[in-house]
Amino acid sequence: MLQIKNIRKCFDDYVASDDISFDVAAGEFVTLLGPSGCGKTTLLKMIGGFHEADSGEIWIKGERIDHLRPEDRNTAMCFQSYALFPHLSVSHNICFGLVQKKISASLQRDYLAEALAQVGLELHKDKLPSQLSGGQQQRVALARAMVMRPDVILFDEPLSNLDAKLRESVRFEIKSLQKKHNLTTVYVTHDQAEALAMSDKIIVLNGGRIEQEGAPEDIYYRPVNRFVADFIGAANIHKAKVSKLEQDNHYKVSCDLGELIVESQEPPVADNVYICWRPESAYRAKGDEENRFNIKVDNLAFLGNVTDLFASTDLMEAGTGGVRIQLHKLLHTQVGAREEFVLPKNAIRFLEEVTA
Amino acid sequence: MKTLLLLIPGLGTIVFLMGSALYTIVVQSFGVDTEIGASLVYWSSTLSDPILYRSIQYSLRTSILGSLGAVALAYPIAMWLRNSIPGKTAIIGLLRAPMFVPGLVAAFLLINVISFHGVLNESLLALGIIDKPMRITNDKFGWSVVMLQVWKNTPFALILLSSSINSIRSDVLDASADLGASRWANFWQVVFPLTIPALQAALILIFIGALGDFAFASIAGSRNVYSLSVLMHYTAVAYYEWEKAAVIGLVIMLLSAFSAVLLTLVTRPFANRTKAIIPANFKG
Repeated sequence: MLQIKNIRKCFDDYVASDDISFDVAAGEFVTLLGPSGCGKTTLLKMIGGFHEADSGEIWIKGERIDHLRPEDRNTAMCFQSYALFPHLSVSHNICFGLVQKKISASLQRDYLAEALAQVGLELHKDKLPSQLSGGQQQRVALARAMVMRPDVILFDEPLSNLDAKLRESVRFEIKSLQKKHNLTTVYVTHDQAEALAMSDKIIVLNGGRIEQEGAPEDIYYRPVNRFVADFIGAANIHKAKVSKLEQDNHYKVSCDLGELIVESQEPPVADNVYICWRPESAYRAKGDEENRFNIKVDNLAFLGNVTDLFASTDLMEAGTGGVRIQLHKLLHTQVGAREEFVLPKNAIRFLEEVTA
Repeated sequence: MKTLLLLIPGLGTIVFLMGSALYTIVVQSFGVDTEIGASLVYWSSTLSDPILYRSIQYSLRTSILGSLGAVALAYPIAMWLRNSIPGKTAIIGLLRAPMFVPGLVAAFLLINVISFHGVLNESLLALGIIDKPMRITNDKFGWSVVMLQVWKNTPFALILLSSSINSIRSDVLDASADLGASRWANFWQVVFPLTIPALQAALILIFIGALGDFAFASIAGSRNVYSLSVLMHYTAVAYYEWEKAAVIGLVIMLLSAFSAVLLTLVTRPFANRTKAIIPANFKG
């Protein structure tokens, strides 16, 4: 449906997009995820036609569109600030694009009624945007985009102005509407939880380049480098020396947790690599399980559903950060106590080579 | 009581400065200080004079066209200045230059340009576009005054409209383009309604200034028809009919007030669009 081919965009010396290429299938929900300044919004605006790429191509439904003006592309954008027309009622906002397309008045009424029902704003149809809450304004922006029946719908951090609770409910609304209407979606966010919850595919961007592209589970459990591992959720990252074991796909790693066994389908890229594991992967040792390691509890934070434990090992150098373990059961321990944990061998992931 | 006394410095000045002038002109228009005493005779004789209506027509015509011309010219310039342009500050400075040229000086300058043997006629003759010079100055319709009003007032309209246009968020304009609006639709359906308050202020202030203009009308205006302010001036100074001049002055003020209300009412419906698209009994 949407193809991005070798897109490059610079603002003076700053490279916002550095040879970016990816595909979005029809009905797919793709999220561009990355920290501020990684170039995700620039990329979205190039798809929408608000920025012109320095080089590269953008194709929608087999037609090259990167030379077209925004009004000539069949894309619809939901802006971070909603960008509703403040002088138009909800109904007129939603019908704005239909008016430009010269859709007949009766068809406009049908589309409008359907869109209002979809976003549950029938009772507010004649209000001005200033008379609506943030969540309602967001829904108007969504309805305004959806009513255009676009080939691709673009979201630019649409939930960032909503409070945490509302964000969660609108997130599900967007996702269910996207699924129901099979909308091809490109969604920009810096919120990894939002990306994991909504996406069919996540593209992690950093410094104008794609770091990793894949399904949410791949990105979370199989990060390819330290940036992705650290940016998506929390990760413990260690330098490790790796040696191959006789058993297939099994490796021995020496790191500041001690010596551990790793089971990985993908071999390490070098003998000295970074390894990572998720804080929720470790559990308290019950007996003489494999991959036990000893820690000293440095800090404890009870967060209700989880307990965050910050710890260090005897092999760690001072100031190297320690490890973080997340437990779903209340841990009866105290700061300064020594505990023994187990790290399942398939929970450890090889990352890039350690360089000087 | 003490509170009211505190208002004296502010309110007192306003009442004294504006009220006294208004009081004088109202009293004078009824001839209170004349031998015959207060009467409507000056009002009736002035209002029945066809010269007044020709002046009203002339002044309304030149001030309406002058104010509309100024805002019509200011809109595209303000839209253009919204973009980042090299030398933007210098361009804005140049565009504001007419504000610093007194009206009388501007009128003389324009006369030099458009007079029978002025720069414009001589240039057109030299280029072979016309065979003989055109008589543009002091024309009966008032085009030379309209040109001057537009020239003089465009910078002022530009200040008001620019600030209003610049306050429209870029993503609102992006959304408009994204939803398929052409440049004209973007202007007419988004920019124009969102700048109605600034447009109202610009139109009203320019119109009132143009309606009471003396400098342009006396130098570049028609020799056959007087503008209201020129008529008022001659009535008072040449004919010593101060009471009738006061009536003409009040006519100018009443026309200004009426026009301000009318302009507000005419432009207001463009500001918001909330009329229901789906009627209450609609079954989708």
